[in-house]
Amino acid sequence: MTTTTPTLATAPAAPSLVAGLGRLLWTEIKLVLREPVVLIFVFAFPAMTVLILGGVFGPNDPSFEGIDPSQWFVAAYIGVVIATTGLIMLPVHIAGYRHAGITRRFRVSRFPTWALPLTQFLLGLVMAAIGVIVLMVVAHFSYGIPPIENPTGTAAGAVLGALAFISIGVLLGSILPTPRSAQGLGMLMFFPSFLLGGGGPPPDAMGPAMRTLSSWTPLTHVIRSIQEPWLDLDTPTTHLAVTTGLLAASTAGWIVVARRDQT
Amino acid sequence: MTVTTSPERDSHTNHGILRSTSDGMPAVEVRGLRKTYGPLVAVDGVSFAVEAGEIFGILGGNGAGKTTAIECVQGLRRADAGLIRVFGHHNGDRRHLSGLVGSQLQSSALPERLRVGEAIDLFAAPGAIATPDLLDEWGLTDHRRSAFGDLSGGLQQRVFIALALLNRPRVVFFDELTQGLDPLARRDVWNAIEAVRDQGTTVVLVTHFMDEAEALCDRLAVFDRGRIVAAGTPAEIIASQPTTATITFTANRAALLHLDRLLGVSAVHRDGDVVTVTGEATMVAHVCAALVADGEPAPPDLRITQPNLEDAVVAIEGAHR
Repeated sequence: MTTTTPTLATAPAAPSLVAGLGRLLWTEIKLVLREPVVLIFVFAFPAMTVLILGGVFGPNDPSFEGIDPSQWFVAAYIGVVIATTGLIMLPVHIAGYRHAGITRRFRVSRFPTWALPLTQFLLGLVMAAIGVIVLMVVAHFSYGIPPIENPTGTAAGAVLGALAFISIGVLLGSILPTPRSAQGLGMLMFFPSFLLGGGGPPPDAMGPAMRTLSSWTPLTHVIRSIQEPWLDLDTPTTHLAVTTGLLAASTAGWIVVARRDQT
Repeated sequence: MTVTTSPERDSHTNHGILRSTSDGMPAVEVRGLRKTYGPLVAVDGVSFAVEAGEIFGILGGNGAGKTTAIECVQGLRRADAGLIRVFGHHNGDRRHLSGLVGSQLQSSALPERLRVGEAIDLFAAPGAIATPDLLDEWGLTDHRRSAFGDLSGGLQQRVFIALALLNRPRVVFFDELTQGLDPLARRDVWNAIEAVRDQGTTVVLVTHFMDEAEALCDRLAVFDRGRIVAAGTPAEIIASQPTTATITFTANRAALLHLDRLLGVSAVHRDGDVVTVTGEATMVAHVCAALVADGEPAPPDLRITQPNLEDAVVAIEGAHR
């Protein structure tokens, strides 16, 4: 007598993580660029605001640590671009995907499990990079780009700050139930951070209470991590340490949430 | 996903629906599946098997547990207990499962600004059906550059069907596929589902539309409050219930009075010229034969109401409450 054992059906090969990420990232960039409101907030808001504030203060205003205010703001607004991406664009985008069921659609696709959250993280970095380029172009044709005294330190501060705030954005988008709630909370977090963290009045122009609040604002540490090496104000050891802590905590947060959602 | 299994204790919910394919392996095998949300028992120890190449319906009202059960099968929800296999693979084996399964989910979407052609290209894995062929097959060629959000409900469902079939799955799950569609679009989707089955793909169809299940499904399981309360072919489920057929016509012939003596007729009611005959489903043939045998012209307004799946399911669910 011959017995046969049923053979398990085999599935065709799935796309690799790298190939999947590349295709998905390109599609995501196209989709975000088709959303004019996103473009206005991430790209136009920091550029317009730096134009206005750079011209509000006189060149010898003593509140700017001896730096020309326009140069002080240009260096600071790299952080503002990062914050608009991390606190507003990404949370609304990701929460919108979850709310509409787009994330579920990806879960039953052949994309590797981690492709969507990783793509959204990379998308945030790409959008922040484009926002910084737009800001630099505007600065170049208006006040001029201030000379970068410590390029390595400045780049390290900008990259670390971007990673931290993009990570916060992915975390917020992963836990907030609707795009509206993400927008509400994002705005609530963004504007105080923006005004107290270096996008508004300089710390020297603030009263003691506001200055204390400013020192507790995460964006302050990101902006100082970029501004201090760029304008040779100081060595931002503490600011870099705080930003690294933010990155570690937020990354751990969204990885835990992503793993929970996938099981 | 790791789930514990104790299928034997749940044999009371099988309803003879644990059947296998000719090679001994069902396309989908579910034994003793249980899923709770806090105190709510959404799925209560159900067992069923789907044969390869059939359209298997999961029928039930809102909150019956059908979507939860199917989402557990697809690995979208973690079952509390039970054994789930898809073509022999445990449903936690995502690497294999994603290649064997195609899905249209009840609550899922695509980005509104994503174009149809981009969506197909995006979700295509190696070995997928070529995009132009797939678009052509599902009548989407003219909409290749249309944004998903600009499509009608019927076209959006076509896109979901196309995406579910894009990577040549062995089994495809459709969950409330025709919800919100107009009757014409619904018929279109029905034809599409039959075409999928005819091409050899196993279809699991979750629906609360009785006519849809009756028209499309080779076999089905009726869910009620988390349990399977009936299973079999639509004809078997209809036949399992003592439902009544009705014949109505206009006549003024006294000879019609003898109809109540025919086999299966339980009552003949006359209201002026309108005659209503009720009885078992088998009496229809006898009554029609008797009307013609009279030698009189056949009544032009004869209407037969046969028991259908909806009557049977309502009776079954009523008996379980």
